[in-house]
Amino acid sequence: MSTIAPQFRLSRFIGSLFDLIFWVILIFSLVGLPIVFIVLFYIKLPVINNQLMTPYLAMTWMADPSRTLPIVKSFMHTTIFKVMAFPGFGFAALLAAATIFVERKFLAKMQLRVGPLYCGKIEGILQLMGDGFKLMSKEIIIPAKADKPIFWLGPLLFVGAAGAFVSLIPVAPGWVVANPNVGLLAVFAVIGFFPIIAVLTAWAANSKWTFIGGLRALHQMVAFEIPLILSLLGVVILSGSLNLSQIVESQEHFWWIAFLPIGAIVFFITILAELERVPFDLPEAESEIVAGWLTEFSGMMYGLIQLGTYLKLYAFAGLFVVLFLGGWNGPMVWPPFPQDIITQGITIGPVTAKFPGLPLFDQDMLNGTLWFVIKTVGVILLILLPRGVFPRVRIDMILHTGWYKLIGLAFINIFIALGLLYAGVLGPGGLLQ
Amino acid sequence: MVDSVFLALSVLTIGSAIAALEIRSLIYGSIALMLTLSGVAGFFLLLDAPFVAMFQLSVYVGSIAVLILFTVMLVRRELIFNKVEDKRRRYAGIGLMIVLMLGIGTIIIGSGLKTMDTNSPAVDYKKIGEDFLTYYSPALIVMALILASSIIGAMTLARREDVIDGQRAD
Repeated sequence: MSTIAPQFRLSRFIGSLFDLIFWVILIFSLVGLPIVFIVLFYIKLPVINNQLMTPYLAMTWMADPSRTLPIVKSFMHTTIFKVMAFPGFGFAALLAAATIFVERKFLAKMQLRVGPLYCGKIEGILQLMGDGFKLMSKEIIIPAKADKPIFWLGPLLFVGAAGAFVSLIPVAPGWVVANPNVGLLAVFAVIGFFPIIAVLTAWAANSKWTFIGGLRALHQMVAFEIPLILSLLGVVILSGSLNLSQIVESQEHFWWIAFLPIGAIVFFITILAELERVPFDLPEAESEIVAGWLTEFSGMMYGLIQLGTYLKLYAFAGLFVVLFLGGWNGPMVWPPFPQDIITQGITIGPVTAKFPGLPLFDQDMLNGTLWFVIKTVGVILLILLPRGVFPRVRIDMILHTGWYKLIGLAFINIFIALGLLYAGVLGPGGLLQ
Repeated sequence: MVDSVFLALSVLTIGSAIAALEIRSLIYGSIALMLTLSGVAGFFLLLDAPFVAMFQLSVYVGSIAVLILFTVMLVRRELIFNKVEDKRRRYAGIGLMIVLMLGIGTIIIGSGLKTMDTNSPAVDYKKIGEDFLTYYSPALIVMALILASSIIGAMTLARREDVIDGQRAD
């Protein structure tokens, strides 16, 4: 006799089946149909093959291959795709994840260690996934006397601010999530939120280590925000725009780093300080104050902070590329899409398959993305490099550097830019355009 | 759409302003103040002035709110505040505020603001910069002088000759 269902009766089983069907129909008609109608009313649907897309037609895309690619293509130009996948969160998170792994291997090689080795057989390539699962499965511990709302909100706000920063970085011509006319000012506004989040979470955890780390983070970030803003003004003066895409377009023939090397160096140093990386990693100095303002975080809350940190790293590297290294500009190396496939389709033996709407991405976009990624990865490696080389510096030396030397250098940079502008060499209406 | 956003922003701004005044915890009060300032930035965005909105965010939320947080965290509050609980004072304050708002409101409405053209395009920030350097240049110079003198004054006040730093590397 079965011990699983000792009271089994066929009539009750059939009755429960009818019950299930009833609930499915009820929920579908109360929730599913309204969703379909909300989509119909409020979302602007594309016209595909001279036919307006409706949710009902969308269901047929699996059966009708001539409709599949156009639907995918029109989906790729929607805002939701841009936010979630390509120039936005997905792309940045992928690069950030790759950065974490590369950082560990790169530092290990630099210091003649091995680095992650066992997880995933080949050079520990699955280490990152293992760490992720570990973080997700760990318990989230909240200190007893912590200020719970702020402590919970901290990591979320941090990732949110990092995501807002990522959304402003243009990756390829036209491929940017948010393209405001005052893009660079928006970057400054977003950067201003990070010290607040750091010091609030540090205070909320109610621990000495976090609070010391938070105060250090605040000192350091506030001190380095000013040279950061000043060092970028040279680029704004010469390109005559605050829009990041227009700044990239202004570097079609030469990069601004060729004319403003001092600004680029100052900006690079402030990036290191804003990202709390060695040699400016005092806020999380692990040999003095446990982990600084991250001490009390555990489990996925720590994971979120880590994700936010690396998103921020990608965004800063991307900003450096956009402002000084010419963004997506570069020689055309991506091969064009073969014309035969567009006009005649793919012929295999007797069968010819035509794919309408085939070049899914245009050549400019792929080439631009390629150059942007190459440059960004280079800058990210440069940001990672000091961690294997330099020791940590003292807080008074950091503040001295930030308040005295970098601000002075940033002003020299501004005067160089102004000189080039007034000499009529560069800038709007200059000799070199 | 704009109306509902305006309503939400108004509720956020005024609600958090009241919270900033009424909440006992100083940290939460300063967070509420940050929300108020962000709400004001939202109003500027609604008014097609993204330039001012971004400066509102980066200066007020990014710097001034940080300064307030810093002060609140570093100073023991018993030293700077003493509680005065008085119902009558509160009602008098509310009454004074209502009278003030009504007065300012009548002045603004009477000033012909209602006839403003709301469909004109947003002002380009380049135009703002041009006006600053040409028509309003005396004001700009005076502002720069005031800021410079206040910075120099702050540095003079903060400078202390009696502290000898033996650890200085340079």
